[in-house]
Amino acid sequence: MGLPLFSAHGDPGPSFWHFAEMSGIDPAPRDHSRENPHATTVIAVRYVGGVVMVGDRQATGNYIASRDVRKIERADRFTALAISGSAARGMELLKIAQLSFEHYEKMTDSSLSLEGKANYLSPIIQRNNLTSPLGVLPLLAGWDESHDQGRIFEYDGAGGCYERFDFATIGSGSPFAEGALRLGFRENLNREEALELGALALYEAGDNDPSTGGPDFVREIYPMMVTVSEDGFHELPTPDVGERFRSINARRTESRGVAGGSLR
Amino acid sequence: MTNYFYVSPEQLIKDRAEFAQKGIARGRSIVAAIYDQGVLMVAENPSASLNKISEVYDRIAFAGVGKYNEFDRLREAGIRWADSTGFTYSREDVDARALANYYAQHLGDMFTEGQKPLEVEILVAQLGNKVRPTKLYRVAYEGTISDEPRFAVLGGDADTIKDRFALSEDSLEPLRTTLHNAVSALAGPDRVFTADDLEVCVLEDRGSRRTFERLSDARVSDLLG
Repeated sequence: MGLPLFSAHGDPGPSFWHFAEMSGIDPAPRDHSRENPHATTVIAVRYVGGVVMVGDRQATGNYIASRDVRKIERADRFTALAISGSAARGMELLKIAQLSFEHYEKMTDSSLSLEGKANYLSPIIQRNNLTSPLGVLPLLAGWDESHDQGRIFEYDGAGGCYERFDFATIGSGSPFAEGALRLGFRENLNREEALELGALALYEAGDNDPSTGGPDFVREIYPMMVTVSEDGFHELPTPDVGERFRSINARRTESRGVAGGSLR
Repeated sequence: MTNYFYVSPEQLIKDRAEFAQKGIARGRSIVAAIYDQGVLMVAENPSASLNKISEVYDRIAFAGVGKYNEFDRLREAGIRWADSTGFTYSREDVDARALANYYAQHLGDMFTEGQKPLEVEILVAQLGNKVRPTKLYRVAYEGTISDEPRFAVLGGDADTIKDRFALSEDSLEPLRTTLHNAVSALAGPDRVFTADDLEVCVLEDRGSRRTFERLSDARVSDLLG
């Protein structure tokens, strides 16, 4: 590619997606008949100082395609982006989002607001999902620097963007995760409580949804756990995550697989 | 009846060069220098928001002097080029030399074919790693590209500033010393600069992917103090 210069009226501005479309870098989705690996559970829970995100690691087609997929990524310092649906499309969306937020920052010498980032993804999702059978649904969570709080944005299949003030889940394991979250969520959770609740909800999803990978104690592959707070994006180290899931598992073993009665 | 006058190519080039030089000389200068940990860029720039130095990619920075609207468009094109190249291939395939060459071609084209030559001078700086060297590419208004070994000066008063800077030692020095040298070379014997008058950026490895940093006034004051 040569030097992409534009006249003032034809300039795509700081939006990388707009620029990529104009220059044909980002190809329009084509129709694929074969289903790609997908299915997921990702959870976002809001707490007093930020947002917790927990996501499983399994990519599923007709069989398990991968056990260590990273479905939550750091989109920028204060934003986490998770994907569900088509793995290929999801990875591309992650890449575009990361690139776009940085592109905007470099072009304008200022960061997009969290709401700006959330809205930016809407038309991308819309175009993808309405033109391709390979749907993708992201979940965006981050620390809003101008409002000093964690915020969660979820999307519908047509690109609609909705803010959630408590928690949100995406992927095939959502109903089970959502059940646990509904019972366990309350306002003003602290970080530790939110992590605990997120892990438990993911454990439930992994327990009931064949396409969601629960903790894998044999391979020591555990769901990803991430917090985004005023200190930025932080991924919990594997031993810490492993410890949390081992303790949930121990309690569940003790109750012989029965989850009811109290939240455990 | 219209009269056509013959203008020799020599005269045409000379006129265009003079025009561009005059435009560039009106603006303030920039010094870029390699120090022991990275690349330093210092611009005399009283504005805190109309920047002359910018991040282009993980290890590449841009600096421009002359007409703001002209070099800012080149800056934007550079960022777009870098981001789309990295998106298409890989982040490590984005090379400052390729970008500097594109700038040189464009400036050369504008100099000979444009309505008027661009009144800008461009610097493309790259922080080296295992596969690429640390580089300062200076691209002049007519498309001349030069690979500056240790430091580069852009702007109208470049030769004088260059002489003043060249007085400092020849080995790579720490940031503080290099900044001192750069600022006193920019200021000359009769002026004293404070952080407010300066735009200071560095490319330096700090353990993350992106190496560009715009130093705050407080940091610059501290380094100058």
